[in-house]
Amino acid sequence: MSAIILLTVFGIIVLYLGFAENKTILAPVAITGLVISMVLSIKDWGLGSKYFHDMMIIDNFSIAFNVSMLIITILIFLFGINYYKRMEHHVAEQYALMIFALTGAFLMTSFSNLIMLFLGIEILSIPLYILAGGKKSSFRSNEASFKYFLLGSFATAFFLFGIALVYGASATFYLPEIKNYIAQFNGHLPPMLMVGLLFILIGVAFKVAVAPFHFWSPDVYEGSPTLVTAFMATVVKTAGFAAFYRLLGMGLLPLPGPLEKTLWVMTMLSLLVGNLAALNQTNFKRLLAYSAIVHTGFMMLAMLSQHDSSASVLLYYTFVYSLATVPLFIIFIHMKRASNGLEELSIFRGLYKQKPWMAVFMTILLMSLAGLPPTAGFLAKYRVFILSISRGYLAISIFAIIMAIIGIYYYFYVLREAFSESNDPNPIEITKLNAALIIVCGVAVLLLGLFVWTVPI
Amino acid sequence: MILIIILLLPVITGLFLLLLRNPATVRFIALGSALVNLILTLGLISTVPSTTYTIDSTHFMGTQFTLGYDGISLIMLLLTNLLFPFIILSGFTRAHIKIPVLNFLILFTQSSLIGVFLAQNAFLFYIFWELTLIPVYFILLLWGGENRRAVTLKFFIYTLTGSLFLLFGIIYLYTWTGSLHTTDFSAFNQLHLPADTQTWLFWILFIAFAIKLPIFPFHTWQPSTYTMASKQGVMILAGVMTKMGIYGALRFLFPIVPQGVLFWQNTVITMCLIGVVYASVIAFRQTNIKRLIAFSSMAHISLMAAAMFALNYYSLQGLLFQVISHGVTIVALFYLVHLIQERTGTLELPQMGGLKLAAPNMAILLLMVVLGSIALPLTSGFVGEFLIITGLAKQSIWIAVFGGLTMILGAIYMLYAYQRIMLGDENPALSKIKDVQVIDYLILIPLIAIIFILGVYPQPILNLLEESVNSMQKLLIPANEVVTLFLR
Repeated sequence: MSAIILLTVFGIIVLYLGFAENKTILAPVAITGLVISMVLSIKDWGLGSKYFHDMMIIDNFSIAFNVSMLIITILIFLFGINYYKRMEHHVAEQYALMIFALTGAFLMTSFSNLIMLFLGIEILSIPLYILAGGKKSSFRSNEASFKYFLLGSFATAFFLFGIALVYGASATFYLPEIKNYIAQFNGHLPPMLMVGLLFILIGVAFKVAVAPFHFWSPDVYEGSPTLVTAFMATVVKTAGFAAFYRLLGMGLLPLPGPLEKTLWVMTMLSLLVGNLAALNQTNFKRLLAYSAIVHTGFMMLAMLSQHDSSASVLLYYTFVYSLATVPLFIIFIHMKRASNGLEELSIFRGLYKQKPWMAVFMTILLMSLAGLPPTAGFLAKYRVFILSISRGYLAISIFAIIMAIIGIYYYFYVLREAFSESNDPNPIEITKLNAALIIVCGVAVLLLGLFVWTVPI
Repeated sequence: MILIIILLLPVITGLFLLLLRNPATVRFIALGSALVNLILTLGLISTVPSTTYTIDSTHFMGTQFTLGYDGISLIMLLLTNLLFPFIILSGFTRAHIKIPVLNFLILFTQSSLIGVFLAQNAFLFYIFWELTLIPVYFILLLWGGENRRAVTLKFFIYTLTGSLFLLFGIIYLYTWTGSLHTTDFSAFNQLHLPADTQTWLFWILFIAFAIKLPIFPFHTWQPSTYTMASKQGVMILAGVMTKMGIYGALRFLFPIVPQGVLFWQNTVITMCLIGVVYASVIAFRQTNIKRLIAFSSMAHISLMAAAMFALNYYSLQGLLFQVISHGVTIVALFYLVHLIQERTGTLELPQMGGLKLAAPNMAILLLMVVLGSIALPLTSGFVGEFLIITGLAKQSIWIAVFGGLTMILGAIYMLYAYQRIMLGDENPALSKIKDVQVIDYLILIPLIAIIFILGVYPQPILNLLEESVNSMQKLLIPANEVVTLFLR
């Protein structure tokens, strides 16, 4: 709890530091706040403390996810030092809003009450709506912000309506009680409860961008400032899945038949739609948006396999995915700058010639996303498949494997561009800090793949 | 410990090479490392191949890091370490860009290939199996020929498709081990899966190897990839990587899904024989020498795959002998093709002819390799293919007849191609080319010597194979049990 309070306080401090008109101190202060918050989080490991009449339970699950999100946010802030250098005004707000969003994410990992989940989702979303419109003069950015806001509010409405219906049926917001209430029906739920649960799931599915509720994500990812996109693709997705898992694990499992089928269909749709759309993309950000939808499908697969280790596999998958995605966006930012603002895949041409080390680390990161050994991404997919196959979902696993193959095509398409010659190469400039961070991420992805890492949650 | 050294020496040398700048130093160090590995392997073979070397390290990718070898692994190890010095040496002739990177990738490939052949654990096997693909992908992408970007991607996706099904198979087998929670081959071999599971699991496992070999309907990546690959790339692909398919099939299919093998035996043999005839006929129509040899290689590999599924002593012995023989021959053949291309600047048969007048020594060397390739008596190809045909004849005379077409059709298209390259009237365009030089002799003479020595005196290898075939028959005991059950 102290971690959440501290995070809020630091968010406000950073916001006020904006008056100082000194951009250089913002990132260090923000990162200090995150680090202290991380220490405080880890201190609570194993305690399982409850707050607000049990509306929040901070257990090992939430701490593990919180720390993983903190690490990724620190990474994004470190990259932000360089990214926001050119921005004249409102830099403090950027950091502060991301910290506020992170606070919301913390609530999403530790709720045990539907109201708390709703609060978490809203606290996460509202800063994001603003962040997505961060480039005020850009048409795309405005479009992204507006689209995200409209569709997001729509999903929120669904979600709230679902909560209301469930409350109407069960007279409680408290997840364990809802679980008991559902259990007494033995799988044949009354329509009101069923519809309510369905709406709640739709609301969460929208946040994690599972097909068919994914339509916002490519446009929003494309239009938003790239660093915000990186934040959305990683931290927000992790938070969404933590909430999803908690919702299912604490309240809804075992799912009633129709709902489980719905979720399976959504899983397969994400894998299929994400892949098919990604094959045709020429814009790198859109490509990563669709690839994120595919990864969502794999995370759903881990979650729906319902095993004791599902949570730890999910944590591993989200973390590894985030660790590869953020530096890829950063490499993209540098290539975009070198090519005067283009976002096509072809901007990667000539990377190997100019910066061989960068091309090598890009290879490692893309390999991790594609799930090839010896990277961590392979181990993550391997663990998901172990879960699903050992639970007997053979057909779906084979389907997912075929989808993984398709994924390799577009990741290696990007890689192929990076290793081919460019006609008129512009110099790629990269600061020492960013270079070091990309290398650290690449090495981490390799090491996480070589040395197994499990958190008992 | 010696296995660890053999496994890691190439890749560590390769990493060291990345720090160097001088091309000559890089080449000599790479060659030296490959030679040391060859000597270590020969030393390993001279000792009794019975021990399994194990390191228990559960924290390596969550699995046991178990290395070991039996007869089959040894043959594959010998082939890999025998060919890599030549592959590295063949890079001495031409000035490439980024020599350290190229040699690093080649040595990296060598390490991962050795890993594939030594892994005693299916998960580890899979890691190395995939790992081979990555350096090869970059060798093809960065040093390949015309249209390399599209072809490389196709090759990569094609092979990965198979691999991922293999991964599915491994995880599925893992779930069958139950409370053991292991992917060790020794545990997999004890599984005794139900027959209907074996029939479908066979294809899940086999598809990866069928693509790698490649056999008939899965071969479409092969000709274009071979044709555009650089000299060293194609040598690695054709010489060693195809053997991964044979090794994998022997490791996975026969001990783990014996009833599946028996069930699909005739189907696969038929596919292989279609491949033999199909590849031979297409090879005959090629005008590009490299493409021609790619198809000829496919015909020979298909014959070997057929031998593998004939499941008897002679065919297995022939198969393993042919692993060495085909590897050596195809590497020599591709080296010569590239030599011709470097000298004449073309690969097209119609533009050649009369080369013998300008380069008589090259003509002699090519003739000897071609004879080895078409399995003329006194060459190693003859010993291998004769044993294979004998084995096939034990299965069915018709299989042997169609299998034998490899040799007959092979003789036709290879000699025809030889005739169009070397013989004929003096060709004014090619009259000024240089003949074979010292470096070419250094590569070709040892390879040709191996071809002929093994052809005349195959006993040392056959003795070594005795061990291998015995160990393989140990693997095949479950299958044989089923066979006898079936016959009764």
